[in-house]
This record gives sequence, C-alpha cells and structure tokens, in this order.
Amino acid sequence: MSVKKQVSDNGENIEISIDGRFDFSLHQHFRDSYANCKEKGQVFTINLATASYMDSSALGMILLLKDHAESHSGKVVIVKPSESVNKILEIAQFHRLLTIER
Amino acid sequence: MTTFSEKRNIKLALVVDDSVMQCKVLSVLLKEEGYRVFTANDGARGVAMYVKYKPDLVLMDINMPIMNGYEAARKIKGLSHEHSLCPLIFITSMDTDQAFIESIDAGGDGILVRPFSPNVFKAKIKSIQRISDLYGQVKTLQQAQQKDAELAEQLMSGVIEARNFSRDRIGIIRQAAELFSGDIQLTALAPNGDVNVMLGDFTGHGLRSSIGAIPLAETFRAMTKKGFSLLEIITQINHQLYDLLPADLFLGAGFVSISTHNASMYGFNAGLPDGYLFSELGDIKYRLSSTHPPLGVLPKLLPDSQLTVVSIAETDRMILISDGIVEARNEQGEMFEFERFEKTAKQGVLEGSVCKVMQKTVNQFCKDMPQEDDISLIDIPCGGWEQLLIGSHDFENIPDQLLGDTCINTRPAWHWQLSLSGKRLGLLNPIPMAMSQINEIEGHADHWQSLYTVLTELFMNSLDHGVLGLSSDLKASAEGFAEYFKEREERLRKLEDGFVELQLSHHLVPNGGRVIIKIKDSGQGFDIKNYYKNRVVDSSQKLKFSGRGIDLVEQLCDSLDYQENGTVVEASYVWTS
Repeated sequence: MSVKKQVSDNGENIEISIDGRFDFSLHQHFRDSYANCKEKGQVFTINLATASYMDSSALGMILLLKDHAESHSGKVVIVKPSESVNKILEIAQFHRLLTIER
Repeated sequence: MTTFSEKRNIKLALVVDDSVMQCKVLSVLLKEEGYRVFTANDGARGVAMYVKYKPDLVLMDINMPIMNGYEAARKIKGLSHEHSLCPLIFITSMDTDQAFIESIDAGGDGILVRPFSPNVFKAKIKSIQRISDLYGQVKTLQQAQQKDAELAEQLMSGVIEARNFSRDRIGIIRQAAELFSGDIQLTALAPNGDVNVMLGDFTGHGLRSSIGAIPLAETFRAMTKKGFSLLEIITQINHQLYDLLPADLFLGAGFVSISTHNASMYGFNAGLPDGYLFSELGDIKYRLSSTHPPLGVLPKLLPDSQLTVVSIAETDRMILISDGIVEARNEQGEMFEFERFEKTAKQGVLEGSVCKVMQKTVNQFCKDMPQEDDISLIDIPCGGWEQLLIGSHDFENIPDQLLGDTCINTRPAWHWQLSLSGKRLGLLNPIPMAMSQINEIEGHADHWQSLYTVLTELFMNSLDHGVLGLSSDLKASAEGFAEYFKEREERLRKLEDGFVELQLSHHLVPNGGRVIIKIKDSGQGFDIKNYYKNRVVDSSQKLKFSGRGIDLVEQLCDSLDYQENGTVVEASYVWTS
C-alpha cells in the first residue's frame, strides 16, 4: 500500500499513483501528496494501474482532491483503473463527475 | 462520576524473589514509596499471591525454584484483566541482552539490573507507575466512549428502525462492521398507498458515517408521509446531504417505490450495486443499476435524472443491497461477488426467506474473517399492499338532505385554492401543499388519507390528460406504461404554459363534513361519455393500466361530475368523526 507522487518538469502535471488497497488507511498520505500543490491550472492524474481495490472512503478522498484542484482552476483525471476498481467507479458513476481514462 | 476505577488510597506491590534478604530490601524501599507489600519466594507461589491480592505492581526475580520468573510472568500477564495493566518489572543481576529480550518477551514491562541505588529503584517504580496510570486512564476513557456509543446506537436505531413501515413484511439484514452502521434502511408508507423504501450506504463506517442518518430519515419519512413523489424526495435528500456533510462524506443510495395501484415499481439507484427484481421463481426480471453519483456529492441532481419504471407482478420481490455483501471476504481473500449473491438470492426467494438464507450463506462463506464493511439488504414483496380506503359511502348516518342544504346555503368553514401555471406547474406538486393545509386546519385523521387519493387522482388526470395532452391509450400495456411515464417527464420539463386550478371547500355538518373538490385545467377537456362507453368493453380484461383512477375516485366520493366540456371536475367527499 503506498501513494507515490510525481511532478512533471514544468510543474503542471502531478501524477499520484496508488499501489495496493486504496482505502482509508491512505487518507493522510493521499492528502499530503497534493496539499502543497497550489498553482493555478494544475492537472492531477490519479494512476490506479496497480491499485487492487478501492472503497467508498477512497471515492471520498478523490472528491476532496477534486475540490482542491477546482479551487485552483485545475482538474482531476483518473487513469488505468483495473476491472474491479473500474466497477466501483462505475457504480458511483464517477465518469459523470470527472474524466476516467481506461 | 467514575464508574469503573475504584480509587484505592494504598497501592499493593508483590515481590517475588527466592532470596528472603532481597525481598526485605525491596519491601522497605516500596514501603517508603507508600506501597503495602506482599512477598513470595518462588514463581508458583507468586502467581498464587497475584491471584489472591490483585496487586498494582509486581517485582520479579528471574532464577527461582519451582517456577522461574519468565514462566510466572507469562502466567500473571495471562491472568491480568484487559482493563488493568499490572506493571511487572524483572529484577536481576544478569546484565545480558538475552535476559533483557526474554524479560520483555515474557510480558515484562521493564527490567532493573542489580546493583542499583535506592534512588534509581524509586525512579524506576515512579516511571512504571506513571505508564500504568496512563493506561488506566485510556481504558477508562475507552469504556466511557463505548458506553456513550452504545447509548447513541440504541437511540439511533430507535429513531430509524423502530419507525420503519411494515417491519414484518419487508425483510432487512443489518449487520454492522462496527457498533455504528454506515448503512441505513428506511421504509415508509405514502398517503396513496405506495410503499417507499431506501437503502443507503454512507462513506466508510462507524460513528462518523452515521451522523447523516437522522436528518436523512426525517426527510425521507416526512416527505413520503406528505405525499411527495419519489424523485422530489431524492432531490431534497441530495440537497440536504450536500449542505450538511463534508465533501468526502456522501451516501450511495437505492430508492424503490412500490405502487400497487399502477402495478409498477419506481426506482432510482445512486451509487449502490445493482438492485434486483426477482420473479417468484427466482428469475431476475430487472436490474436497477446505478445511474447517478452518490447523493451529497453534487449540489443538484444531474439534469437528466429520472426514475425507472418497471411493471411488477404481485408475487415479485425487489431486493436492494449495499456493497458489503458482494465485497465480503473469505479466508482465501476471495470476495462473495455478484454470482454467489444472485444464486443465494434465488435460493432465498424459492425458500421464501431471502434474509435468512443470505445471512447464513454469507456468514458461512466468511467464517471467522473480520467483517470489513457494513452488510445490508432489503427484501420487499411487490404485492399485498392494498389498503382499505374509507369512502363516502361508508358514512350513511348523515342524511343526504342535511348535506345538500349545508353546501348550498352556507359559507364553507374554509376555502383553499391554488392556481399553478407554466413552469411552476411542471415543477411543483400541489397535493402535499393541500394536504398540509388540511392537516393544519383539521388535524390528522385517517379519512384524509382517502381524500389524498381523490385529490391525487383528479389532479393527475387534469395535468396528464388535460394540460400535457397525454393519451391514456399508451397505458394499455406494461411496456406502454413505462413509455407513458417517460413521455410525461419530458413534457413536464418543457412545460411553458397551461394551468391547473385547485379549489377545496370544507362544509361542516354535525359529526362530520363534506369537502368539495373542484379542479379546472387548460386542456381540451376530458371525454367522460367516451370513457364510460369504453369501460364497459374493457371490464372483461384482467389487467388494466388505465382508468383505475376514476374508478377509485367514484368509489371514494359521493359524487363526481365533469363540467364545461370536461375541463372542470367537481367531486364531493364526505367524512364523519
């Protein structure tokens, strides 16, 4: 279980990768990964390629990030969710709220 | 008030050492620190003394006859109650890493290596006692919190579950992962006889996730009782949760309204796993899939939000679940998943007890694995909800003459009217407003339930067939009924002009009264003659999806009259106390 953060050279793209179970235990790490990113127009990419599971508190954490991004005129993109994680995003109809790239 | 930790002024210490001399030395030092001291000269005796006196502190030698210090320590730690940490310190002259490691492994809370000065000894005792006190405080707090939580949970389930409608017929599984469940199951009866059901799953579980439950339950019940439509209730709940809850706390929710009158189920799924409509043979007739993000995420429902309408048979069962069931894990880490769920649900339907079969199967699957999430399910029978409505004909103890005269010659006790036009007509439902007026003036009574039905039927006729110009021919079949409903939503959304005028006059007579309902609409007029003509032809058919409204109103009212080419309808409803 871990949260990894990678910032592009120009500082406009922040990629947050989740490994393993994406649940409440990552709350603090996930928050820390973006709390200091306060520049205008940043794109936050949540990479779920290696996330094995996601629960509703993870959905909540994504919504908090979305609030953060939008308050700085930025946006959030979710990429590469696995079949089972995508199922959870689908049930929550998150594609109606933000971009999901499979 | 301290309920748990009885404060003893004198603390007890137990010294276990095979050297009588050592026991004496330590006793003196401990007494200087205010302890009352007991001694034992071997491990076994030490354990026995521990059981007898329940000391606050144990000092333990390592090398002793009969039972050595490590073994005695293990026994004592095994006996000590969870809520009282009895600190145990090893006293030894073995100054080796091995001795230190083994002491801690055996459950020791510290080690003192001889030789030591009296002051070092006293300092060690103080430090260990400090930790022990802290442990006691934490435990006391934890217990107080647990008690508070239990009380809160009791109140909460009292407010939520106890007020549910038809708890005997609607099956509910509610198995919380913690004391507090983040899942909530609500059932309520609408004034027109529809049964509204909601299964909600707040983010996470435990107390934090259940704080939204009370306002949610209040809104769901109050609005259902006042006769708001399911979509109006959902809109309001979404808005309320958005206002109340922080951004990361929201509600996945499935809503179902069973309408016996329309032989239909209205459904909406916002972030829950599929809901299922099962036939009596356990076949899946329909899946109610999520079409909307959970409630409380967006300030308003998405603009294309609408209810799904499905025709139902009386023997069907509608089942809603939260993700706790399908995500329950067994010892191998596998999830229960939908396939097992569907199979088990089918078996449950066939055996006539979905809840029992499901609960048993899920628990067998998970065995001793700790439950990670709240598990819940609602099993709703689609039939058997017909109500006894109280109609005017039941009141034969008021002479017709008196009724007639009263209404012609006197002013009504009160008169209420509301005219809605254009966009507002498309948005607002005036029936709950009318009912709330009546309840406010006359107080709550069973006979107003029937008046609600009359008002709803007549208003819906005026709106649907008058203003919106919908033909009830569409409602001839089950599929058509869903089509009709969709078309109606569409036309309502686009409604720019047209009006419906609603008037109520209440005349009092001894022991009762008469309510005159007059509704006028801007439509082409309702062809009542044609309706009666067709009704004779239709009556041979078993299942009718239209026309039942007027039949019902006729049964409930003592007169029903269409005027002005069918654009005005006047009905009279009589009640007695």
